[in-house]
Amino acid sequence: MIRFNDITKRYADNLALKNLNLTIESGELFVLVGPSGSGKTTLLKMINRLNDPSQGTVEIDGVDIRQMDIQKSRQNIGYVLQDSALFPNMTVAQNAAIQLEAQGWDLDKRTARVSELMKLVGLNPDICLHKMPSELSGGEAQRIGIVRALCSSPDIVLMDEPFSALDPISKRQLQDLVLKLHKELGTTFVFVTHDMQEAIKIADRMAIIHNGQLQQVGTTREILANPENEFVKKFFEDDHEQAHFLGSVLAKGFGEVYTVDAEVMQTTDTIFQWADRIKLDSEKLINVEGHILTSEDLVVYLASLKEVE
Amino acid sequence: MINYLNENSNEIISALWQHIQTSLLAMMITMLIAIPLAIILMDHPGIGKGVLQVAGMIQTIPSLAILGILIPFVGIGKVPAIIALVMYAIMPVFQNTYSGFQEIDPLLNEAADAFGLSRRFKLFKIQLPLAMPMIISGIRIAAVMIIGTATLAALIGGGGLGTYIILGIQTNDNNALLTGALLSAALALIASFLIDLLSKVSIKKLLLGLATLMILVGGFTSYQVWRENDKETITIAGKMGSEPEILINMYKDLINQEDPDIKVELKNNFGGTTFLFRALQKGNIDIYPEFTGTVLESLISGNSTVNHDKEAAYRDAKKDLGIEYKMTYLKPMSYQNGYGLAVTKETAQRYGLKNIADLIKHPQFRAAFDADFLKQSDGYAGLNQKYHFNFADVKVMEPSLRYEAVNNGHVDVTNSYTTDAQIKKYGLVVLKDADSFFPPYQGAPLMKTSFATKYPKIVKSLNKLANKISTKDMQEMNYEVTVKHKSAAVVAREYLIKHGLLKDN
Repeated sequence: MIRFNDITKRYADNLALKNLNLTIESGELFVLVGPSGSGKTTLLKMINRLNDPSQGTVEIDGVDIRQMDIQKSRQNIGYVLQDSALFPNMTVAQNAAIQLEAQGWDLDKRTARVSELMKLVGLNPDICLHKMPSELSGGEAQRIGIVRALCSSPDIVLMDEPFSALDPISKRQLQDLVLKLHKELGTTFVFVTHDMQEAIKIADRMAIIHNGQLQQVGTTREILANPENEFVKKFFEDDHEQAHFLGSVLAKGFGEVYTVDAEVMQTTDTIFQWADRIKLDSEKLINVEGHILTSEDLVVYLASLKEVE
Repeated sequence: MINYLNENSNEIISALWQHIQTSLLAMMITMLIAIPLAIILMDHPGIGKGVLQVAGMIQTIPSLAILGILIPFVGIGKVPAIIALVMYAIMPVFQNTYSGFQEIDPLLNEAADAFGLSRRFKLFKIQLPLAMPMIISGIRIAAVMIIGTATLAALIGGGGLGTYIILGIQTNDNNALLTGALLSAALALIASFLIDLLSKVSIKKLLLGLATLMILVGGFTSYQVWRENDKETITIAGKMGSEPEILINMYKDLINQEDPDIKVELKNNFGGTTFLFRALQKGNIDIYPEFTGTVLESLISGNSTVNHDKEAAYRDAKKDLGIEYKMTYLKPMSYQNGYGLAVTKETAQRYGLKNIADLIKHPQFRAAFDADFLKQSDGYAGLNQKYHFNFADVKVMEPSLRYEAVNNGHVDVTNSYTTDAQIKKYGLVVLKDADSFFPPYQGAPLMKTSFATKYPKIVKSLNKLANKISTKDMQEMNYEVTVKHKSAAVVAREYLIKHGLLKDN
């Protein structure tokens, strides 16, 4: 459990974070989302102490992190940076195993661990281990970045806009990978993004931050259903133009609760994925969190969007 | 040129080795200072910039000036040369190392911190390898600069290839000049090439290799120092030119004939009068040949009237040196190397010049003098006071260049010494000193009285030269060395043997 208590971060000429309180539960995939400059990265870096708050405390599992040995606590926190940030002077294998090397693991054990994780992220260790970072594609490099973060089996993995520089296809693949890894490892993931779609797709819970202040915390569904203020609504709608999630369909009151044999879909799936199913079977029913939606609901929902505009 | 190399191969190889040794030592000290300093300061950009500025400022000071400033503090020889070289080379190595660190992507530094890597791990595995290309290029710049600048070490008795360059300029010997210049250029190229090779080696091997090299060079140097200390060493220096070199070679032969166990170190072309005298006072050198006239004019303070009788002049010089500086001035040789003013035969005929006073009528003459002559009261300064020549154009020129300038007609009149080989070579006319303006200039060994008391045998050996060597003999020997390019050691030995001062063995 990570707890931020009344965090304020002051820079010379501005206030990056203001009296922020937040708790991230162990094992959840938590997303910090907000426009650029909102303070979300500043907050993330307080967890591994790349940044210290001007005021307030950060606790991990109830212990103030200032009381922990900084080097040891960092070795227990994985970190995935923007643009992968692999060290250009080292091979892929050396990069991935850097924390293990610093902790004195011998070469064979390191290679075994890295190979295992490379398979997990969909890379062939025989091909990739001895490449240099410059020989990798952006997607491959970021997969190695993830391997590097997971190598020492940390309790917490921090990801700072890790996919913002990738093309849409790689981005989608890596988002799926993060979901898969989180499910398999059960580690706490804290993920920073400015992309609402990405947040909706991967978050167990998310916190929306704007101008250094916490706007709303909750599950995707809760936030879709009940945006707490104008900013959240607006931020969400801006994104909404491109993607309509089943969660927002439920939020508008569609769907009835009854028991019937229907395909289960998630609140974070889009209405386009739903439309795909209906294209194949016009009578198709789907089940979203127990609410049954019909093809008619889709038409009415689309019509209701038109009314708003 | 090839002949020259063959004849002098031993000396050249030892100069080359000296040069390499000086350069390597300077390079290592530079790296030991500059690289750790850059590492310490990489997280303190304020101080880092300050150091860069100071290092840059040091580099704008001419190297000769640095050498001059250092002499009173650390004396002469290799030590000040190495200090000066290090001061020069710190700038490029520090700057490149520092910038190499500054230019590392901050994201990579952040990553290294975030993974909880220790400072040492981060430095050796990430920062140093990433900055390495810049560091290597800094080292390469410094190495080339050091090898080039190390030629100046010869000026303060540091030896090396510069000896040949200075010798070449002094004696107008292109073979010596080219040997020194080409070898140091070749050395710089080879060093640059080797350093390029080094940049492809891993940092671990690099550090290991560096440590090995340091132990080897350090060990060898201290072995040399130890070996030299083991034997009694006395140092004899001479001013610029062939004559002092011939004389000190005679001193060496005579001393070793009496006591072969004394190690005599010769410092040729060691510098001007003031420099040598100060070196003698400080104990950096033990003996050097000095002229009676120079002692009375430049070294003794106060009363500047010089007795124009040569014996009286020697007695005055000997007495005053003893009183003022506690120095012992041994008996002089026969020849006089007095000042004179020289013109070409054509000029003399055309203007009907015989005596120095005849020059009064020709203020349009262009004159070239050496620095000593120009400012001394027994030189041009005094002459001008007496005769009011007021030559239109007075230049300072090195002795060997001066004669050539007169011969080519670039200047009309120059100062000469009565024993100079070039008078014979170019057939110049030395104008008569009818008014006995110039004081007598007889050469004799000068040393501290404490030294003379400690080494009576040496005094005895050197006194064998008293009243020997006529002006003609000296002119002949100078001619052999400067024009015929015979080695001064050989010429000196031949004279001693011929005149029964040294047993032929």
